[in-house]
Amino acid sequence: MLKIENLHAEIDGKEILKGLSLEVNAGEIHAIMGPNGAGKSTLGYVLGGRPGYEVTAGSITFNGEDLLDKEPHERAAAGVFLGFQYPVEIPGVSNVQFLRESLNAQRAQRDEKPLSGAEFLKLARAQADALGLQQDMLKRPVNVGFSGGEKKRNEMVQMGIIDPAFAILDETDSGLDIDALRIVGDGINRIMRRPDKAVLLITHYQRLLDYVKPDRVHVLADGRITRSGGPELALQLEREGYAEVAA
Amino acid sequence: MTDVLELPSTRHEAWRWADTGGIAAAAALAPVAPAKADFLDLPGARLLFVDGVLDDAASDLHRVRIGDLTPGDHPLGRRATHGWSLHLDAGAVADPVQVVHVATGGENHLAAQIVLAADTSAQLVETFVGAGWSNRQTRIRLGHAARLMRAVRMTQDAGFVSLRDDAELGEGASYVATVLGAGDQGARVDAAITLAGAGGYAEFGGALLTRDATKQECAVRVRHAAPNGQSHQLWRAVAADTSQASLAAAVEVARHAQKTDGEQSLRGLLLQRTATVNLKPELEIFADDVKCAHGATVGELDARALFYMASRGIPAPRAKALLTRAFVADALDRIADDTVRDAFAADADAWLERAL
Repeated sequence: MLKIENLHAEIDGKEILKGLSLEVNAGEIHAIMGPNGAGKSTLGYVLGGRPGYEVTAGSITFNGEDLLDKEPHERAAAGVFLGFQYPVEIPGVSNVQFLRESLNAQRAQRDEKPLSGAEFLKLARAQADALGLQQDMLKRPVNVGFSGGEKKRNEMVQMGIIDPAFAILDETDSGLDIDALRIVGDGINRIMRRPDKAVLLITHYQRLLDYVKPDRVHVLADGRITRSGGPELALQLEREGYAEVAA
Repeated sequence: MTDVLELPSTRHEAWRWADTGGIAAAAALAPVAPAKADFLDLPGARLLFVDGVLDDAASDLHRVRIGDLTPGDHPLGRRATHGWSLHLDAGAVADPVQVVHVATGGENHLAAQIVLAADTSAQLVETFVGAGWSNRQTRIRLGHAARLMRAVRMTQDAGFVSLRDDAELGEGASYVATVLGAGDQGARVDAAITLAGAGGYAEFGGALLTRDATKQECAVRVRHAAPNGQSHQLWRAVAADTSQASLAAAVEVARHAQKTDGEQSLRGLLLQRTATVNLKPELEIFADDVKCAHGATVGELDARALFYMASRGIPAPRAKALLTRAFVADALDRIADDTVRDAFAADADAWLERAL
């Protein structure tokens, strides 16, 4: 589904990704772990197409198409969802409006009919309930005044509504207490654990992996994948530390 | 050109950002066919002025009268000697008054006088369309606890709209005005509002949206001449291309106007770095027990928010429109009437479609 080959990327002329290669197939959940500053979030932003993150070499294909050739909004419509480590506050735009605009913009790019207000609200309410996000938070401005945990839940509500084929979740577990971690983990499994979908979980700690079992675990250090393995690798990292395992 | 029009020069502080050249150019615009008069679905009086002349057949005056009015001595306002007036006797409640001003090139001048006696209430909606220089003088006198709600939208295709307002509020009177500049004309919103009686309430604000090379400005002065008054000046300016939007809002609190609560919120948004936003909040306070909050900021659209929206599938022009609309929403949300507020929001949206 996603194939990254020899990816080099830089920010302000500083190279962060230095020849990263990775392949994720449909039906798989991959975890990317690594120390701070290894380039984990940069990988997420490069996949999402954030301005300022310049790819200098390598390729990324998604379902056989060149992902780097697409604008960020086109990547979303193609089925790529980026869950943010720090979800952005948007004063003056309600969550409902933002999500409906998002979904219908994607549908328009795929030549699908827009959802009516009623159809959309039904969908949004169901997803908010499933993730324990209070209904009135749908009416509030996007992420404004939300706690860290509420912002992360809101990311998952968005993912549930958009129903992407591929999700990159950047530190989705940070800022969550144990109960919220379970709810978010259940959400990821419910929305994304399907034969035709795949997930790239970017995480610093192994604790989210107690709830979302990865098929593959990769260690990202100094801009490349230095080791790959099964779920047991995450436990080994937790036990022995990155310095030992990644070297 | 300015000399011909006898307007103050931009060396005069209150006219610093005035586009007097734009006024002269607007006055010289060649004739155009009349634009369609677009009345909102509201009951009450409908006045259609084409180049400042009442179109009888298309108008429904209700309580409004037409006639000569005393011109003031303001450089803009003094040009208007004829116009419409609304006088309400104590306790009367009037249906809304809608005025559509159609300009077909050249210059036109029109005066208005609104006198509300004690405990009366009125609503006024004005729309400017067409091309040319439309110059308006509006004199407002509000009696004890009288209430006036006013909304003005400037949506001409070209030219200039200048408004000169002179309002005086009696004890406990309330005046809430919202101005939207969403056309391709230049504009000057020049207002002097005096809270002459105790406990008066004034809101004067709005949004100026400029693109291409147009210049719009507000120059508003609120005078608190009595105690316990409250005033809010909430303005938003959005400037694209090489345009210029300027907000100058002053609050003056007289020595005995204690317990005054004044607020100024001036915020500018630059859609391109070639555009200009000028902000000037001004406070002159001679009383010692007052609260006057003021804020002035200029910025650009939040790049992080734009990427966040793009990552959810929203194309950049639409994301910019949503953020810009959110930016001006504060100002337009002050309009209480749903029909009027929706129409103004639609005008702002239409402007954004063109500008982004």
